Amino acid sequence: MFNLRCAVLNSVSALRRQLVTPLNASVTLTALFQVIMLRSFQFQSCSYFPPLPGQESTLRWAGKKFEELPIVHIKATYNNTHIQLSDSAGQSLVRTSCGTEGFKNIKKSTPIAAQTAGISAAAKATAKGVTFVRVVVKGLGPGRLSAIKGLTMGGLQVVSITDNTPVPHNGCRPRKARRM
Amino acid sequence: MSRHLRFIARTVMVQDGNVDAAYKILNRVLTQDGIIDTVKRRRYFEKPCRERQRKNFENCKRIYHMEMARKIAFVSKTNREDPWLGC
Repeated sequence: MFNLRCAVLNSVSALRRQLVTPLNASVTLTALFQVIMLRSFQFQSCSYFPPLPGQESTLRWAGKKFEELPIVHIKATYNNTHIQLSDSAGQSLVRTSCGTEGFKNIKKSTPIAAQTAGISAAAKATAKGVTFVRVVVKGLGPGRLSAIKGLTMGGLQVVSITDNTPVPHNGCRPRKARRM
Repeated sequence: MSRHLRFIARTVMVQDGNVDAAYKILNRVLTQDGIIDTVKRRRYFEKPCRERQRKNFENCKRIYHMEMARKIAFVSKTNREDPWLGC
């Protein structure tokens, strides 16, 4: 995956190295160097890839490494959206869904219901002392994005988004095509 | 049971709390990898005859679009070397 900011940062650091080595300090060179130093402060951590468990990374969220953050599983089906918060070991902490929020039947399969479920899940999670969270989304339903939005609106900080939609390599046969 | 490590594939980190941008990036990556339309297609069973028809149609569509893009790129070029140079 191509990251424009990382590529620019690499080119900026290469340019910086080229500028530092010549010993003649002309006015234009130092001015350009100062501009580049100013610009380079804006690019801090520009990697969209998660920190792999083998590599040592200095990223910490509330003192926890990436592998120890709690996980929010969002199952976005076509008729409903379930949200379950579990810690990194897998112990469930909070469980909400559009149905537990009081929506019924067709109102459950709306983004607004998913957002309210996200807000209530975030409220319960902050009551248990959770701040930073990784999100795992499963399924392509109406509440896929709005559940994550609801989590951020409720006060949880989302660190990463993973997509865990099940893709069978020709496993079970799905139901027959609808003829409308 | 799960044969793959978790949180490595199909994962996007959120930069500066910008969840919308991260979700957009994730969506773009998934569509480019063909996962979104695979999931949509597998919601209902597609008979093998329909699958062959669809693959054929997509092949023809791809050939047509590539040729048309080539033609447009050629026709819209303004600066090119003189094809009749020397005669």
